[in-house]
Amino acid sequence: MIYSIKQELYKLVHRKITWIAAIILFFLMLITGFALADESKKLILTLTFDSSDFIMFILVIVGATCFSMEFQNNTILTLLYKSSNKIYVYLSKYIVLFLYDIFLHLLVLFYTICLRYTIFNYQVNWSASYLYHQPVWLNMITASLIDLVTTMLIIATVFLLSCLINSSAIVITASLLVTFMGQSISSDLMNGGKLVNIMKWNPFNMVDLTRQYGNYGMYVLTTHLNNQELLVGSLIYIFIFIIAGYFIFRRKRF
Amino acid sequence: MRSSIALHVDDVCTYVGKTVLVNNATFDVKAGEIIGLIGPNGAGKTTIMKTILGLMKFKGKIEVNGKNVSENDHHALTRVGALIEHPAIYPFLTGMQNLTLYAHDQKDMANLISELQMDSYINNKAKGYSLGMKQKLGIAIALLNQPQVVILDEPMNGLDIESTIRVRKLIKRYSDQGTAFLISSHILSELQKVMTRVVLISGGQIILNKEVAEFEKISHQKYHLTTENNKLAKKIFAAYQITFTENENYLIVSQNDIYKIEDLLFNEGVHLKEILPLEANLERIVVDVLEKKRG
Repeated sequence: MIYSIKQELYKLVHRKITWIAAIILFFLMLITGFALADESKKLILTLTFDSSDFIMFILVIVGATCFSMEFQNNTILTLLYKSSNKIYVYLSKYIVLFLYDIFLHLLVLFYTICLRYTIFNYQVNWSASYLYHQPVWLNMITASLIDLVTTMLIIATVFLLSCLINSSAIVITASLLVTFMGQSISSDLMNGGKLVNIMKWNPFNMVDLTRQYGNYGMYVLTTHLNNQELLVGSLIYIFIFIIAGYFIFRRKRF
Repeated sequence: MRSSIALHVDDVCTYVGKTVLVNNATFDVKAGEIIGLIGPNGAGKTTIMKTILGLMKFKGKIEVNGKNVSENDHHALTRVGALIEHPAIYPFLTGMQNLTLYAHDQKDMANLISELQMDSYINNKAKGYSLGMKQKLGIAIALLNQPQVVILDEPMNGLDIESTIRVRKLIKRYSDQGTAFLISSHILSELQKVMTRVVLISGGQIILNKEVAEFEKISHQKYHLTTENNKLAKKIFAAYQITFTENENYLIVSQNDIYKIEDLLFNEGVHLKEILPLEANLERIVVDVLEKKRG
């Protein structure tokens, strides 16, 4: 397993997209900073310049190509026979993407601090009380940790789709639809009224976890779930999607 | 060590759904042996190779150095190298990085680079490699880490003459050190130069499994002969219902008819200029065997 993880890390580190995405992320945050000039500075810092959506976008692309490149280059065969079990191939990819996700979140925290003190020079006290009666710095850390869960749900979805569909273009499109249109799909599912209590647990609803943390009053009306429920729901769906993805991967013909 | 069984394939059937792709395949590869897996397109050569690597659903028993291989347990394959279908190369990595990804020993890696003469481009990105360069890199990956069993599917694809000779020498050197090889190739004459045993497969079934020397004897069952008057000789063969095929300047006949032919030609006064056993030609033998099987 460790051998498989090392191999996956080696590949990720040597892919251009890994580093280009990290640089693009900075510029997107910069643009967001200018675009949200009138918004609450505390909210901008808490949500690290709204970087959650950008991270999701990057993870969808990197995650989708993670499997498709193996099929395209015929390396999947070597990968499979060289690892003692298929689950190691699948899990090592997931773990490495999780590590990349952590790296992106740490990078975003670093970028946020840099932008706060340099270009934007926000006059915000880090220890000032903000959301949930917590200081801004804790809000920012908590939002990042919560976003780690949300993005892991996205990765699990991407992996599940990658095992079902060979074309990375279709996987990317479908994953982006789930990520950015999940909220409206979820709202449609809950329109029925009577079934809200069941339908509010649909997986599309869970994608709003980070957004709801930053703006509870607005999002709770559409999700019908509190933060804790969204968190638990997300963790359960991560588990389900990983297991389902693995079983599809296991049965796949190579 | 040399006589020990490195790869044991016992009564293996490979399935895709309910379709049987390989049926009751049984053969062994001893340490140091080079098996040529040959057969027509779609015979099941690649499927057998993939099955051995635990990549396909199968029934039966596959052992590598006495350890069981299954679809979900590849522990026995830790010292197996393979090149299946196309070289497994990441285009965004250099040749060196592709090797580093799998190599346990830097010295071993450096030796392979040098022996396959890849020094000049090994630090370039693999996406710019020609087919032959990729093929050599794929072979190097298969030969990394002193494997006990190596499975090569069409290893000579895209290689120039010099590289073909280098790969052949490398295979022989590894085989002398005890590595067992299972090689499939469409260039049978090339395979003939290295292999020690032939496994012929057709329609998913192994129809022949023989030592090369034994296999070549099949070809000696045919002779070519030249007479002073081939026209007359043909008439005589036709009259006595002797089967023959005609080539430019000679006639090919079966070994079983040789004595009869000698007598007939002597009686009819046709002088026999030359009679020689046909040289072993793998392609022709394979075609003969397959034709016989098809009836």
